[in-house]
Amino acid sequence: MATSLSSTGSARLLTALARSSLLYSSFQSRSFHATAVCCKNRAARIRIGKGDKPLTYEQALHPHHIAHRKGWLSQHTSNLKGEQGAAERTVEDVFIRKFMFGTFHGCLANEVVIKRRGNVLVVCALMLQKMTPQRFYFFIGYSEALLSHFYKCPVKLEIQTLQEKAVYKYV
Amino acid sequence: MAAPLILRRELFSLVKILGGISQLGPRGLGACSNHRKCSQTRFELLQRPNSFFHTAAYLSSTPFPITVTDEPDTLFQKVVVLIKAHDRAVLDSYEFFATMAAKELGITMGKVFEPPKDIEKLTLLKSVHIYKKHRVQYEMRTHYRSIELLHVTGCTAQVYLEYIQRNLPEGLAMEVSKTAMEKIPDHILEPMWKDLPIDDKSSK
Repeated sequence: MATSLSSTGSARLLTALARSSLLYSSFQSRSFHATAVCCKNRAARIRIGKGDKPLTYEQALHPHHIAHRKGWLSQHTSNLKGEQGAAERTVEDVFIRKFMFGTFHGCLANEVVIKRRGNVLVVCALMLQKMTPQRFYFFIGYSEALLSHFYKCPVKLEIQTLQEKAVYKYV
Repeated sequence: MAAPLILRRELFSLVKILGGISQLGPRGLGACSNHRKCSQTRFELLQRPNSFFHTAAYLSSTPFPITVTDEPDTLFQKVVVLIKAHDRAVLDSYEFFATMAAKELGITMGKVFEPPKDIEKLTLLKSVHIYKKHRVQYEMRTHYRSIELLHVTGCTAQVYLEYIQRNLPEGLAMEVSKTAMEKIPDHILEPMWKDLPIDDKSSK
C-alpha cells in the first residue's frame, strides 16, 4: 500500500519534470521534422474517429479486402485478360453513378452496383424511403429510358428500399 | 393504390419487350462458323439500338420455330469452352451448372479442369508529386475454367451453348473453340501408287 503510493508520487514528479523540460526545450530549440506524407494508404478508407459515425459494410472494409471480404461494385468482363473496352466501361460506370446520385438525391443508402449481362446494363441500388412510391416509379422509368437512350442498350434498374441505412459499425 | 400502377407498368413493359425481341433471328446467340476445321468464337452480343426498351422483372423471349433441313449436321470432335472470371466462387458454381446441364442432356464430357490463373500487376507512384520511393501495387487476377465436350453434333452443340450463354453470369467471359470432323475428299481415299505401275508398263 505504502509502496504503491510512493511509486505514484514519484511517477507524478517524473511526469511534472518531463513536462517542464519539454516546455523548456520547446522554447530553446524548435526543430522541423519532415516525413514522407504518403507513407500510409488513404484510398477508400474512412479513418477511425470518436465512435459516433455510422459506416456501411462497404465503407467499413478497405480496398485490400476486395475479393476476400468484399465484392465488386461494377461487374463486367473488360478487365479480364485478353478483353477490350475497360476504359469505356469505366467512363460509363462513372456517369451512371453520378446520374443515380443526382436523380435520387439523398435517397441512396449504399453504393450503386452495376452489372453487365450480355447487352443489358443492370443498375442495382438500395434506397431510403424518402419519397412516395409513385415518385420512385417515375424516377426509375425516367432513368431507365434516359440511360437506354444514352447507351443504346437495355438498361434495367433494380431498386430495393430500406427504412434507414444499414449500419455495419460505428467509427 | 400502388398495385394497379405496378400491374399496368408490367403489362406495358411486357408488350414492348415482345415487340422488341421479335426482331431477333433464330440464331442470335451461339453462332459458329461451320466451314473451318478448328474455329474459335467469342461470346459477344452486338449492341442493338433498343431505345424503346422498358424493363420488366425478367427478359421473356418468344420461342424460336424449329427448322428441319436435309443437309447433314456438322460433327464436332471436341468443343472446348473456356470461361474467364475474376471470382473463383462464381466460376465453381457456373462449372457445376454447366456440367449438370451437359449430364442431363446426355453430352459426353471430356476434361473439366482449371488452368492456372493469370495475375496482371501494375506498380504506380503513390503520390501525385515526387516521393519516388513510395509506390502502390495493383493486380488483376483472371481465373479460368475449361470444359470439354466430346463427339457432339452441330445441333446439340448449338442448343447447349445457347443455354449456357443465356445463363452466363455478369463478369464472366466465355471463349468457345470447336474442332469439326469432315469427310475425307474422294480423290485422297485411294492411294496414288495403285495407278503408277499401269502407267510405267504402258510407257515401256
